Amino acid sequence: MNGGLLLGLLSIALLTATPVLLAMLGETLTERAGVVNLGVEGQMLVGAAAGFAATHITGSPWAGLAVGAAAGVALSSVHALLCLGLGVNQIASGLAILFLGNGLSSFYGTSLVGQQIEGFHSLRHGWLADLPVVGGFLSQLTPTVYLGLALVVVCGLFLYRTQWGLVWRSAGESADALRMLGKHPMRLRVTAVLTGGAFTGLAGAALSVDYTRTWVEQMTAGRGLLAVGLVIVARWNPWLALPVALIYGLSEALSLRLQSMGSDLSPYLLGTLPYLVPLIVLLLSYRASQRGTSMPQELAGVFRGMS
Amino acid sequence: MSTSTAWRTLADRLTVPAGGIGVFLLLAAAFFFFNGYAPLTIFNQIVQGAFGNALSINTTLTKTIPILFCALATALPARMGLISVGAEGQLYFGALAGTAIVLHMTSAPIWQLLPAAVLLTLLGGGLWGAIPGLLRAVLGVNETIVTILMNYVAIQLVQYAVYGPWKDAGNLGWPATIAFPEAAKFPSINLGGLSTDWALPLAVLLAVALHVLVEKSRWGTGLDLLRSNPRVARMAGLSYTRQTLLVMALAGGLAGLAGYVQTANVQTHLQPDISSGYGYVGFLVAWLAGQNFLRIIPLALVMGGLLSAGDALQLFAQLPFANTVVMQALLFMSVLGVGAWRARRKAAV
Repeated sequence: MNGGLLLGLLSIALLTATPVLLAMLGETLTERAGVVNLGVEGQMLVGAAAGFAATHITGSPWAGLAVGAAAGVALSSVHALLCLGLGVNQIASGLAILFLGNGLSSFYGTSLVGQQIEGFHSLRHGWLADLPVVGGFLSQLTPTVYLGLALVVVCGLFLYRTQWGLVWRSAGESADALRMLGKHPMRLRVTAVLTGGAFTGLAGAALSVDYTRTWVEQMTAGRGLLAVGLVIVARWNPWLALPVALIYGLSEALSLRLQSMGSDLSPYLLGTLPYLVPLIVLLLSYRASQRGTSMPQELAGVFRGMS
Repeated sequence: MSTSTAWRTLADRLTVPAGGIGVFLLLAAAFFFFNGYAPLTIFNQIVQGAFGNALSINTTLTKTIPILFCALATALPARMGLISVGAEGQLYFGALAGTAIVLHMTSAPIWQLLPAAVLLTLLGGGLWGAIPGLLRAVLGVNETIVTILMNYVAIQLVQYAVYGPWKDAGNLGWPATIAFPEAAKFPSINLGGLSTDWALPLAVLLAVALHVLVEKSRWGTGLDLLRSNPRVARMAGLSYTRQTLLVMALAGGLAGLAGYVQTANVQTHLQPDISSGYGYVGFLVAWLAGQNFLRIIPLALVMGGLLSAGDALQLFAQLPFANTVVMQALLFMSVLGVGAWRARRKAAV
């Protein structure tokens, strides 16, 4: 494989991975504070629908991303109310959010099907494209890819290099320890769920406003749930979220590339790759992620059983 | 127990369902009101669409069958603390396996074909459930995540089959297998204007049998012990690995039956969209029932009615079908929320 082809595959992988990466970052932040949210899929869907609608109305993709994030916050607040406020089991509450997001986005999204939007202006004619060697590659990426990469850095620095990040992580390790520091675990967890909601809403908007530029019912196709699984593979670490999301992006890009190259394999068999590859990576990395101290202690109860 | 305490226990038991349904009705009314529909008219249409006449009751019963099987498939693993969200995929893979035998024995008589197809369905669904069970028991991998990922794989595999090797050329491009022979279908039951398949009494019977097994048998106590106190369970000689595999495989088989009935009796072909989310609806029903097999039966009927009413509303009120998904979510949130709130209040007293 020559370098150009490799870079081409990498750029497709980055484009494909970005919505999943954003959702992973959001879920990482939420889980680091000790809460699991399976509603990510629903939050992505309302983010995608609201973001697409906003872009369609205002003509600005940036407004679409902002509205998508806001929609994600709104839906995640229901999860916060149910599992933190009322004490509903987190897995069940998350699935309720998934259903609600799925239903609401389909209900209000019917009129969006088939609508056209502008999307982001191509970077292909900017200064980026004039750079030697990497110019062609860099200019293929869209603003949301750069946003995703920047947020990896922001989340990584926040969690590991700031005082707030330390407090945030200790909410996931031990609520009691946090209370002794004079902080409120509940308040912090609500913040974490809402922040996760913003990221996942943004992830959905990135999908509809930038990646596909269309709105179709249930267009996330499991990416949100996949992101929850991939957070385990990435060991709740924002820095690792990038390579792990890229594994998903590469398997998706590969399945698309093989199809366009006229592979004899059925596109539906190839379509299992984006789910099978992360599943296999999950198995291979599970022992390691359990042995380490990476899983937030407060999550152990949620992941271990129903209590 | 004196009469007054009996009344108090009854009132106590009714608080959560009644409160949950009350909150649900308020939320649903608000949803319809803000979208410009008269809530009472819509509620009336929902009840009519679900149970109003023989035709709507038949539709409701048809939709109840897969929900019931999938709810059992969620509740059984939950008895030992496993959270499986895999009924959807097990449904697809079970239907795929059952279809394989139907395509190979098309002209066999019913006493051969139906049992063979059901057996293959159980094996297929069972395999799809056993894999996450094995990974959980041996490697400790979270079963919730694995079952979710495997759902998508199973759906893709069904698509592969019906767009590829099993596609019937006679369908003029429509991706589906040949029509199933009568001998592959569950026979129908007709009572007056009502009709359904034998799969419905089978599902109810299985629910009752599971209830008895789980509540009264040594095995059921073992599952409870494995959930609440794995260490003691192990000392009592119970194998976590074996029970996890068994429970997950049984659950997979049950969900597979949902897929087979849907394929053979309702759609009469294997086609890409078998389920319209019955696996997930079954999950909601199992949780609403508090993983109690008997309570699952009426709740599955209610959810079946809601889905059937969704079709009618689409037709008469021009409401997008998605409103039923919204209502399912609202019902689920209301009952869970009231239940959890009640549990907290009780714990605080």
